[in-house]
This record gives sequence, C-alpha cells and structure tokens, in this order.
Amino acid sequence: MEGEVRLESLVKRFGGVVAVDGIDVHMPPGEFFTLVGPSGCGKTTTLRMIAGFERPTSGHILLDGVDVAQTPPHRRNVNTVFQSYALFPHLNVADNVAFGLKYKRVTRDERRRRVSEMLSLVRLAGFEGRKPDQLSGGQQQRVALARALILRPRVLLPDEPLGALDARLRKDLQVELKGLQSEVGVTFVFVTHDQEEALTMSDRIAVMNEGRVEQAGPPQAVYEEPATVFVADFLGVSNLIAAEAAGADGAGCMLRVGERMLRADQGATDALGEVKAMIRPERVRVEPHGSEGANRLPGMVEHAVFLGSFRELHVRIVGGGVVKAIAPNDGTPLPYAQGAPVTLHLPQEALRVLAPSP
Amino acid sequence: MSRLRNPWGRPRFLPLVTALYVAWSILPVGIAILFAFNNGRSRTTWQGFSLRWFTGDPNSSVLHDPALQSALTHTLILGVLCVAVATPLGVALALGLQRWRGRGSGTVNVLMLLPLVTPEIVMGVALLLLFLQIFGGLGLGTTAQAIGQVTFALSYVVVIVRGRLVSIGRQYEEAAADLGAPAFDRLVRVLLPLLAPAILASAAVVFALSIDDFVITQYLSSDAGTTTVSMLLYASARGAPTPALNALATIALVITLATLALAFVVYRRFAGASAVEAVAGVEM
Repeated sequence: MEGEVRLESLVKRFGGVVAVDGIDVHMPPGEFFTLVGPSGCGKTTTLRMIAGFERPTSGHILLDGVDVAQTPPHRRNVNTVFQSYALFPHLNVADNVAFGLKYKRVTRDERRRRVSEMLSLVRLAGFEGRKPDQLSGGQQQRVALARALILRPRVLLPDEPLGALDARLRKDLQVELKGLQSEVGVTFVFVTHDQEEALTMSDRIAVMNEGRVEQAGPPQAVYEEPATVFVADFLGVSNLIAAEAAGADGAGCMLRVGERMLRADQGATDALGEVKAMIRPERVRVEPHGSEGANRLPGMVEHAVFLGSFRELHVRIVGGGVVKAIAPNDGTPLPYAQGAPVTLHLPQEALRVLAPSP
Repeated sequence: MSRLRNPWGRPRFLPLVTALYVAWSILPVGIAILFAFNNGRSRTTWQGFSLRWFTGDPNSSVLHDPALQSALTHTLILGVLCVAVATPLGVALALGLQRWRGRGSGTVNVLMLLPLVTPEIVMGVALLLLFLQIFGGLGLGTTAQAIGQVTFALSYVVVIVRGRLVSIGRQYEEAAADLGAPAFDRLVRVLLPLLAPAILASAAVVFALSIDDFVITQYLSSDAGTTTVSMLLYASARGAPTPALNALATIALVITLATLALAFVVYRRFAGASAVEAVAGVEM
C-alpha cells in the first residue's frame, strides 16, 4: 500500500527564524495523521514542505521511501487542501475539479467520468456549472477536496480545511471528512490548531510547539498520558499544581504540596525537585470539608460555574493555586456554594508528575 | 444660546464647493466642444448648430482636411503601437518585479516609478538627446515617438498589474502547482485569466495616455507625417484656427473617455469594486 510519509530531522529556517526545528515523524499508509499546535508552532510550514512549497533547510522527506525534499510541488504525488480553498475563481466547479487531470494523461471520457464520480462522492452532483463564488463555504470546501482527491494522491494534505467554517458546519464536516478518508484510504496529513478537532478525527496526532514535536501518538494516549507540561496544557483542560518531588516510592512518586504529601503513580515518577503535578478536572473529586485519607488537599470554593451538561468548581488550595473539578450535571443542586471549605481528593492513579519545561 | 445644527443632517457647504469645482473644470472643455458644432468660422461667437467641421465642409472639416485627417490617423497608430508594446512588456515586468525578492529589486522598484514623477519635459529632452546622439541610426519619427511613449506608459501598466497581483496573492499559483501544473501552465491557465481585467484596464490607460501625450511626442517628431492631434492643436492655436480644430479635439476627447470608461467597466465587472477604488483612487 502506498502513501507512507517519513520526515527525518526536518529543519526550516526563514532568515534567522527557525520555523521547524528538526522533526522526525513517521506516517504509515492510510493513516489520518494530525499536526496540532498553537499558531506559529511550525505545523503549516511542515505541511508546506511536504507539499513542496517550501524547501527544507535540511533533512529529508521520504514519500514511500523516496526522498522528495528537492522535488518541485508539481512533480509530487501529494495534494493540498488549502485553508482558503484557493478555488480558481474564473473556472466553474467541473473545471476546477478537472484542473489537475490535464497532467494525468486521461481521455476526455475518462475525465468526464471521474469528475462526475468525484462530485457525487462529495455530494455536489449538479453543481458542475457553478462558479466558486456561487457556493457556500462548506460547498467550496468540498470542491477543494474533490479537486485534490480526483488525482488519487498518495497523501492528502488538508491545511486547516475547516477553519473558515462556522462551528455547527465544522462538526458535521469533521465526521464527513473522517468518513471520506476511511472510504478512499488515502493518507491524510491534517493540520489544525483546534485540539478538539485533532482528538476526534485522527488515528494519531503530533503536538507541535516552537518548531518541535512535543509528543506523538494516538489521541487517547496523548490526552491521557501527556509527556510535557505544554501537551497537558494544550490538549484539553489540565490542573497543573506546583509541587516538589521528594523521590520515588515504589512505583509512585512522593510530592510535597505545601504541608501535604501526595502520591502520584503516573508520569516522571523518578523526578526530583520542582515539578508540576497534573490532573484532569474530571478526575478530581470534591469531598466535604474534613474528609480524611491519602492524597487529599484542603481548599475553598472560589467559583461554582454552570456549564449546562457539566458543572465546574474552582477550588483555591493552600499554596495559592486553583484546581478545577468538573462533574456531570445530575440535576441535584450544587452541594458546595462559593466560599465553602472543601477537601479535594486527587487519586494517585490519576495524578501525573511532569518535569517543568526547560 | 445658538441653535445646534442637526449633526445627522446632510452637509450643505461641501456639495456647493464640489458643484462649483466641477462646473469650473468642465466649463472650458464644454465651451471647446460646443464650438466644434458652430455653424460659422468663429470660435467665440455662436452661430447655430451644425456638423460642418466634422464632416460637412468640403475643404476644412476633419473628414476632408488632409492635415487633420493625417494627425488623427497618426495619433491612433501611435496609440495602438504603444498599447501593443507597453502592455505585454509591463505585464512581464510587473510579474518579474513582484516575484523577484533578490538583491537590487528595491532599486528597480523605485526606478520603475521615476517616469511617473519626472517632469515630462525633462523626459522629452532626455529622450531627444538619446535618439540624436546614441541611437542616431534610429532617427526621429514614428518609431522614436512610440518608444518614447512606451517608456513612460510602461510604469502605469506595472503599477496597475502589480496592484492586482498583490490582491490575488500566491495561493492560486500554489494550488495550480499542487495540482501538477508546470510554471508555464500556471501562468497561462491561472495567472493571466485572473490578471485579465487589470491587463485590459492598463491597456486602455496606455491608449489614453498615448492619445493625450504632447511633450514627448512633440520632441521626437520629425516631419508633418508624424504630427499628432495634440501637436496640431498646439501649432495652429496661434494661426487661423477654425472650429475644425475643436472638432478634432472633441474626437480625441471622446476616444480617450470611451477607452477609459470601457476600462473602468471591464475592471469593475471582473475585479470587484474595491479593486477599482484602489486603481482609480475614487470612492464608489
């Protein structure tokens, strides 16, 4: 099966600015791979290097084992879906979709057949004669997709293809795009800054920051087991509590938070000195004031926030930090009002030790 | 306490000033056009409406006077030559300058705008010396006039086409490359169709500039055959002018205006109103 991408110590500098700082990523054929990170993290530059619009300063881009780093974009068997779609405004939908077939040596009949097949795949049959400016944002996005997929690329490179759409349409198209990807089986290297989009759509994600890949893996693994403070903070909501690691204790690690000792079983349990103790809000348990046991911290409710299907408590703990705890809305009134003293239970199996970012 | 004016009301003073300005600037042109249709020989006393100076008069109408006819023909030939040379050259230059980020591109950018700000008489004298001293073999006449007009008309093409290039951006070319199009196809299948309105508009502006030009065309002319409308108007203003000159000027004016109007309409139709504002400097 074709469509394997391997990036080896890929570097891109613009003048003195390092946009991509030596990344190594492997994307097996047929995978939905997502590069996710804040703006300026180098994800789009990486994508543009795979597409051929930027020439790497150093490193290799292997497409099915062949280094294409120095190949111009029109000779690479990969296609981009641009964030702005970049549909040719002077051509109608059919001509836009057929644009690249001119370089594929297909007969006129074959071209007509493939265009109509592609348009029905993206549910745009009957729109052949429309100009791009007569289409809605979602329809333009599907034309851009059809225009790229019709060339049967080994790899498709969607660059924030849903970024310009409103939230509702975005959700629908996420599902649609994912379905389309598994239907055609082409490798997707998807770029987004939206962590939720990355988590819901991808087979694997790579979280990028300042030109480097912080962590790569299946969405659930990266979400559940963030390796760095940045990843913990970027994916979902995390509580990061300043703590002092006092050394390993069996499989776990003893952490000093203020006067209290916590035991954490996850993450860099062999760390020493200043660390962050990380826990997701949905794993924090709020107990009545005075409840006893290990891994418990006293605190005071600072805000009680109603989120519809969830409710969130912001609890200020000794030492100054705020810990968020989230619980499903079960219809009962909130047991803790603002200002109430409570005890937080941070289960040791949910508590993770993260070395601070350098 | 003075009565406060309604701040949402329409201003009254500004329209008045505008109307006066428009009237003042149109008045001389209007009078000149009016007397093109005078029935008598006078260019100052109205003697009734006629088309005698356009077609009627058997000797001195535009249609029958060989000098006037030749001036009009030569003006149009120069205009067409200038468009045919300056437009493709200017488009190529605009593409080159827009894509060229290397050493010296800044200098060229400034040099490109020099003809727009150089006094035309300086350009005219300089070009005259150039053709007399260095390119003496070429001599003065139609070729020299065309080259002279192209020299300054080129800048307008570059400015208009580059403006459009900036607003188009690189995304369409990148998309075409991504879909497999080599450089030549990216130009022909994508960039030129997108630039078409700007190219048409600049061609029209070049044509209008060429028809209107006097200084450079005058300096580089040789014999009577290279006299243009503007030169003829200037030369005969102190002789014994008849309203035929007004008729000639009217024809030149109508051609210029029609060309510019066409360019405006084409550009607005295909490039959107905002682009026209950018080029024409007017608010729609």
